[in-house]
Amino acid sequence: MSRSPSALLLAGAIAALIDSGSYAQGVDIGEKVFRKCKACHAVGDGAKNRVGPHLNDIFGRKAGTVDGFKYSKAMTAAGENGLEWDAQSIGRFVAKPRDAIRGTKMAFAGMEKEEDRASLIAYLKTFSGRGAGRQPEKKKAAVAAEKPTANPAIATGAEGKKELAKNAEVPGHGTFHLGRVALDEEITAWDIDIRPDGAGLPDGRGTVSLGESIYTERCAACHGDFGDGRDRWPALAGGQGSLMKERPEKTIGSYWPYLSTVYDYIRRAMPFGDARSLTDDEVYALTAYVLYLNDIVTEEDFELSSENFTALHLPNEDAFIPDDRAQEGHYANRNEPCMNDCIPGKAKVTMRARVLDVTPDSETVEGTDTIE
Amino acid sequence: MWCVIGEPMGKRKKGDGRPHLDDRKSLSRRRLLTGAASAGAALSTAALTHSQARAAADPAITEIQDWNRYLGDGVDERPYGLPSEFEKHVVRRDVSWLTADPKSSVNFTPLHELEGIITPNGLCFERHHGGIAEIDPAKHRLMINGLVDTPLVFTMEDIMRFPRHNRIYFLECAANSGMEWRGAQLNGCQFTHGMVHNVMYTGVRLSDVLKEAGLQSTAKWLLPEGADAAAMTRSIPLKKGLDDCLIAFKMNGEALRPEQGYPLRLVVPGWEGNMWIKWLRRIEVGDEPWHQREETSKYTDLLANGKARRFTWTMDVKSVITNPSPQAPITHGRGQTVLTGLAWSGYGKIARVDVTIDGGRNWQRARLDGPSFSKSVHRFYHDFYWDGSPLFLQSRAIDDAGNVQPTKAELRTARGQNSIYHNNGIQTWHVREDGSAENVEIS
Ligand code: HEC
Ligand code: HEC
Repeated sequence: MSRSPSALLLAGAIAALIDSGSYAQGVDIGEKVFRKCKACHAVGDGAKNRVGPHLNDIFGRKAGTVDGFKYSKAMTAAGENGLEWDAQSIGRFVAKPRDAIRGTKMAFAGMEKEEDRASLIAYLKTFSGRGAGRQPEKKKAAVAAEKPTANPAIATGAEGKKELAKNAEVPGHGTFHLGRVALDEEITAWDIDIRPDGAGLPDGRGTVSLGESIYTERCAACHGDFGDGRDRWPALAGGQGSLMKERPEKTIGSYWPYLSTVYDYIRRAMPFGDARSLTDDEVYALTAYVLYLNDIVTEEDFELSSENFTALHLPNEDAFIPDDRAQEGHYANRNEPCMNDCIPGKAKVTMRARVLDVTPDSETVEGTDTIE
Repeated sequence: MWCVIGEPMGKRKKGDGRPHLDDRKSLSRRRLLTGAASAGAALSTAALTHSQARAAADPAITEIQDWNRYLGDGVDERPYGLPSEFEKHVVRRDVSWLTADPKSSVNFTPLHELEGIITPNGLCFERHHGGIAEIDPAKHRLMINGLVDTPLVFTMEDIMRFPRHNRIYFLECAANSGMEWRGAQLNGCQFTHGMVHNVMYTGVRLSDVLKEAGLQSTAKWLLPEGADAAAMTRSIPLKKGLDDCLIAFKMNGEALRPEQGYPLRLVVPGWEGNMWIKWLRRIEVGDEPWHQREETSKYTDLLANGKARRFTWTMDVKSVITNPSPQAPITHGRGQTVLTGLAWSGYGKIARVDVTIDGGRNWQRARLDGPSFSKSVHRFYHDFYWDGSPLFLQSRAIDDAGNVQPTKAELRTARGQNSIYHNNGIQTWHVREDGSAENVEIS
């Protein structure tokens, strides 16, 4: 790897950080910067591969070598050609991933600010080699604090089993008297679904402009700055008026019938790889921003809340109809199918898969359809 | 002759295994023989090996093989048995360009390598939206809440104490064959039809579990939810839930595989695979559907007029010939041939399957073999003598509710080409004179 002046500079900055007392501070800032990577990468105790490989012990590791992770050909090749991760190479890669490694599948636009990269690298370093002890300890403590204290009603204590079977308590409910009563706090923890009529909506609020800043940090890497969807990640906006075209673009603005689904889905499943990490207010803000991306609301200071939520409607709500497949001719007319001389002439090929062969192994172009 | 209906084995003189002199297809026989001389392909050699007397004795017989002389592995060498090393190619496979990320993607069952009606656990296709949740059963809970008298929480141990039931059902992803709406695209039934599997489930009745909590009179809908990173949810009418749904913990006798929802999965017989919530952790009871992402953005069927059907739950009557097919060409040259395939319907049993080898000009009833269960796949065969001329193979299933599998043209006329889901159109394989096969559409 050739060392660019800026890479040297960066290395200098990190060395300075590490030598000085500001190291700890750099690590703390780095932890915040790392949120940009968190949707795809994990670090710390028990970190697993997510959208991207885990980044424990990244320093000194050959590129593209974490067990069990499916890298792009480009990343594997970079490693085989001798790319080893250190402060410089990580800095260069993160600054502009696609320029640093052409063909990488890391869907991340890049990180411009050198200070951000420096603190990020200082932070990552704490999960590598000798320095690894420091951060995880802090993490462990945090995790322990987050854990709810064990509910005696939930615990299936082994001690209980020592009791005589005939003394076991049998609940009164039901036919088989199995299970126990669910506690309110348990139901609240899991029951987060929302209906079009607003049932299930939590109290809260958030504006378009707040939504934009959360979106930029936590969603844009995959869904694109304007909700246009990077690579094959889904688009969240656009496509209005395309449903009858040859290639319809089905987005929240062009296709989805209900806004409640947007709130519900973001809260339960996004960001991809870091689900349930958004507050209710953040989800309101993000939902407002998605409306804005789709030109359904136009003011940046528009605030979406539990009060005005059900007044908003998506444009395609009325286009959904019940299942009427049974009325289609081929099912409705119950004719006995023809057995002999059904079609005149000989069969002729009108289309063959080999023409646009997109079968795995067949080393040709990619297909055009996606699966949903 | 372009295409000839196969003669049943019984009409031919048995046992000689050699070409018939009165064979009408002299043209194709000439091709076969000259082909053998020029191409030198494995295919032709195989054909010769089978149809001609050998010059030298077969070393597979005359030489003593290692496995016949030396001792093999003892018991316990393979505490969990795996297939023979010669079956390594029999695996699920994906089509990487279909999705952005393997954590929300799909792979396909190798239908052309399987027989009978049961899909082995390790080969059942996978589709998940947030990767495989690896769940410790000791930490797994099932909650029933909503319009019930007593919201309940069950441990795995509790669930296993309900009365158990064993049922064989197919599970098909609604997007199976979805890539073929605009025309023939993928060369292999694994890829065109491999999002289906057929498994014996052991589990408890959903109705038993729901009744344990006590259903309120306004209850009409269910919302099962998964414990995975997508917290998958689907609205299901209560009527279906009380009819035949199961909460399963075993597949084909052993624990569910992690990728199939270990430790609990909802079984929704005959309905689209997405509804069979894996890693099932909660079922809410309500009076209206929830319109979740997987029943609005996805799993709704866009029609040519811009309208979209929703709640298209039942999987229609469908069949496919698994052999021969593009990944399973005919390698033995002309002669006796086994054509086989699978048929299934979300409405009940398969009453009959017809096959054609001339592209739908003439059809014959296939032979159904093996057990026949409602909402399970059925195995069919058509045994015939292949004369070596090109074939256009199709199968057409009819279920016991009287539904006839439509053609792709009929489906496109009714729906356009952007429905993605529920493509149960009749599939055509073109078998060429060298025995290779490809996915085609014909007039
Ligand atoms: C949208 C998902 C995504 C985001 C966001 C993301 N990455 Fe990645 N990252 C990936 C993927 C996927 C790969 C594997 C790339 C390949 O194979 O080409 C990767 C690879 C890497 C590697 C190489 C690892 C190895 O084992 O060789 C490093 C280092 C890395 N990312 C750092 C970062 C940092 C630091 C950030 C945050 C600034 C970040 N990534 C943000 C998805 C992401
Ligand atoms: C690491 C990449 C990634 C990040 C970051 C991410 N998403 Fe997604 N998003 C996905 C994938 C993948 C899907 C589709 C998942 C599936 O197929 O089940 C998706 C689906 C969605 C959908 C549904 C799209 C549709 O048409 O059905 C919405 C809405 C959404 N994401 C919103 C967000 C929001 C808001 C954020 C930020 C808080 C976010 N996503 C962050 C990858 C990402």
